[in-house]
Amino acid sequence: MNTVKKTATRALMYFVELFVIVLSVFPILWVMMSAFKTNGEILSDPLALPTAFSMDAFVYLFETYNFPLYFWNSLLAAGVSTLVSLLFYAMGAYVIAKFQFPGRQLLFILFTITLLVPGHSKTQPIFSLVTGLGLYDSIWGVTLVYLSAGMAMSIFVLKAGFMAIPKSLDEAAAIEGAGFVRTFWSINLPLAKSALATAGILMFLGNWNEYYFASLLTMSDSQRTLPIALAFFTSEFSYNYTNLFAALTVVILPGIILYAFAQEQVQASVAATGIKG
Amino acid sequence: MKKTIPRPPRAKASRLQRANYKWIYLFLLPTVIVFAMFYVIPIAQVFVTSFTQWDGFNAPVFNGVRNYVNLFSSHSFLTALRNLFLWGLVAVFLHVGFGTLVAFVLFQRPRGWKFTRAVFMIPNVISAAAWAMIYRFIFNDDFGVLNGIIRIFDPDFSVQWFYKSPWAFWAVTFTWLFYAVIVTLIVLGDLLNIPTELTEAARIDGATGWQLIRCIQLPLCRGAIGTSIICSLTARISMYEQIALTTAGGPDYQTMSLPILLVNAITDYRYGYANAVGVLMFLIGLAVLYVVNRAFRMDESDY
Repeated sequence: MNTVKKTATRALMYFVELFVIVLSVFPILWVMMSAFKTNGEILSDPLALPTAFSMDAFVYLFETYNFPLYFWNSLLAAGVSTLVSLLFYAMGAYVIAKFQFPGRQLLFILFTITLLVPGHSKTQPIFSLVTGLGLYDSIWGVTLVYLSAGMAMSIFVLKAGFMAIPKSLDEAAAIEGAGFVRTFWSINLPLAKSALATAGILMFLGNWNEYYFASLLTMSDSQRTLPIALAFFTSEFSYNYTNLFAALTVVILPGIILYAFAQEQVQASVAATGIKG
Repeated sequence: MKKTIPRPPRAKASRLQRANYKWIYLFLLPTVIVFAMFYVIPIAQVFVTSFTQWDGFNAPVFNGVRNYVNLFSSHSFLTALRNLFLWGLVAVFLHVGFGTLVAFVLFQRPRGWKFTRAVFMIPNVISAAAWAMIYRFIFNDDFGVLNGIIRIFDPDFSVQWFYKSPWAFWAVTFTWLFYAVIVTLIVLGDLLNIPTELTEAARIDGATGWQLIRCIQLPLCRGAIGTSIICSLTARISMYEQIALTTAGGPDYQTMSLPILLVNAITDYRYGYANAVGVLMFLIGLAVLYVVNRAFRMDESDY
């Protein structure tokens, strides 16, 4: 009886694992595989393997569209906004973690409560703000909006990171004659490396994949990020399925490759945000 | 006689710290500017202009609660609310439930658990826009995987999942239903944090596997489950890409969501109306946080 129960539990566990793997990997493999099939093959049998290995769709995409530019725009918007906001929030979190001053607790609560504001609800004011600054249809307008994206999470994670650094180090630095900025930059910042990585990775991933504001704030081809380019292709190639699948492949591949390299770190980052619960 | 216990002196800012005030506020300045620019001012603007009629070009005209009255008497808004409610139920019970189940399975460390965990994350590192597109193809009638499989058994089968009632609602639901890796990682994190002495003690007292899960592990990761519920409900309130790129809210508003309504209003230059939707999203978000926090007693510590 007991062994039957044990085997059943074991079987259930493997079933769950298999289910998760198939659900997560199969859609992507199917898209990639279909990019190598002809239109006719896709329509006649969606599940069949490609008969010939043809890169035509990819060649066509790269010749006709400026993919490196979309990639560069995505990298620019996500990279610059992540670096700048990481510095801003590290400065803020540092003083909140290490100093007593009037309004400290209030500011911390206000900054972290922004987590609850659905980004979409501020659409119109942000649209007006970006337009007012003359940054509509510019990748810099999108970058500016991304600055605000990870505020609550970053302040929270970074504050915990700075609090874990012993105060005696700051005092020692002060005795050695290090000023306020130096103590922050050369002592605390390097020691808060893992908190910085957590916040940075989560912000970068979010901004790299962001679609909503990028689609509202840009219009022309030269300012498109990868997700926006993808949405544009669906209307452009509505009947050329090979091209559609190839475009999807090109758009999702950089993210997957990036993830493959930083896999452990990404998972740890997501888990770390849960500790606040 | 009452003995007066000397209170510890209130932590006062030391002279060193006071000299640092200039630097402290300077360091806070960038965050405060971002906070004001992207949170305080926009939220105030949304609240105020939700009581006006405004096309974005002319000055807003105050019209009381007209936008709200219009909203609550419109078919599209009421359907969006109903959808949010249904999706909320699905999110709490099925989505978070599935994520928690996976976390408990992986916690037993079966063969391949690390691989499963790593692979489960992939749909989440891809843009939601791309993922929506992938599902649009999977559910496509002509060349989709789903109908391809069904046609092996029934060659004449044909359903346009995203365009036909009542399938559209469930097709949209399926695009996120099982992708609960955030839940899994958060819950798994809490499970790994349970002190081993606790589990050992329960085992010595004769607790079997299921009892261990029900009486020790599940209650101790309620904070993680609460956090997951908040995250997934917030995601439901702001669900946009999964709908905009598949059904666009159709057929007949059956997959309408608040952000889709909001964007539609903006493209129609009805900014006041759009902001009324924004206010309601904001209030629903606050209510969710309050209720879940209460229900899961999340501000109490266990250890």
